[in-house]
Amino acid sequence: MGLVESGKMPKPLTKLLNLSRKYSVWCYQWGLACCAIEMGAAFASPRYDVMRLGVIPFPASPRQADLVIISGTVTDKIVPSIRRLYEQMPDPKYVISMGSCTNTGGPYWDSYSVTKGVDQIVPVDVYVPGCPPRPEALIEGIVLLQERIQNEDMAARWKGEQHGEPIVLG
Amino acid sequence: MADDATTTDDAPVEDAPATDEGREAVLAELTEHLGDAVVDSLIKPGLGLWVRVANEAWSETAEVVRHKAGFRFFDFISAVDWLPSPYGRYEDATVDVPWPPPMPDRSQAVPGYTGGDTRLQVLASVAKPGTDLRIHLKADVADDDPRIGTWIRTYAGAAWHEREAHEMFGITFEGNPDLRHIYLPTEFEGHPLRKEFPLLARVVKPWPGIVDVEPMPGEDEAEGEGDEG
Repeated sequence: MGLVESGKMPKPLTKLLNLSRKYSVWCYQWGLACCAIEMGAAFASPRYDVMRLGVIPFPASPRQADLVIISGTVTDKIVPSIRRLYEQMPDPKYVISMGSCTNTGGPYWDSYSVTKGVDQIVPVDVYVPGCPPRPEALIEGIVLLQERIQNEDMAARWKGEQHGEPIVLG
Repeated sequence: MADDATTTDDAPVEDAPATDEGREAVLAELTEHLGDAVVDSLIKPGLGLWVRVANEAWSETAEVVRHKAGFRFFDFISAVDWLPSPYGRYEDATVDVPWPPPMPDRSQAVPGYTGGDTRLQVLASVAKPGTDLRIHLKADVADDDPRIGTWIRTYAGAAWHEREAHEMFGITFEGNPDLRHIYLPTEFEGHPLRKEFPLLARVVKPWPGIVDVEPMPGEDEAEGEGDEG
């Protein structure tokens, strides 16, 4: 790992390692509301089947995960748990914010109990809009994230220096 | 069976009976046991029964309603804040809400069925299994220190409802030993369902109104154009 962090990786090797990371994205699921149904359709149904894209949606804990998909209404009460499990993930880690509620609060923009955007507590890599987004939209978000992983500077990402502008779908 | 029917009831269903013996009997039973504690009542024949009782008799009412009148099914306890909203109707607002907002006049409060003298009222509903009978019970709670008796000794399931009414309206249920927050985070301050509770997002940014509604099929197309934005 010292080689990766030093930034002295040969380019072809970076490409190869990024390719490997891109196609073995272990993803844990933060289903909080109705968006979780669409996420379940994308992950568990043979019709959409994210595993063909190399996304593995069954890690035993966030400590094994590379990606978290936060889908649904984030309330102030669940915020500490989201932050805590995000911090348990090993670097490099990625966050997809799925659905209007997670992005901005959505229809609950004026509620006393809903957090207006999960990006207030964790850095978001991909915003997937929709109420709820269709599974295709979520898969597009995953594919765009994989493209970013492919072209990443691993050293910067490993050290948490590079986050880049978030990808916004639509 | 057809031979037995000598008369045919052709009365349309919407002709509700002018009197409702079942509900009047329930009300009479409550009045018999509670006496003056029944402050006001309303019977809508065929529809429902509303009873307002005195604050001090709230716990006793539960006992009577369950054990004497047989209303074993507890539906809910909640509360109503009859104060008009200090913020007006956000949906109709054309200008920003002033801050702090002017508090509305208490006398503008319009209490519902069976009236009320205070801003906050506790509301409960119980039903009698096997019948279509249901009682909506109400009681006033004081404006400055809202307190009322607990129902948990009669209906154990009322405990969570009282916790919710406690956190949402700030009403203390005397005798309930566990009035922790149930839905809100532990450290939450304020009572969100009270009318004066500010929704900060709306203070910062007024409700934008309906901005991108497509006209219904058949409606005049021109009607929807002014709302683009």
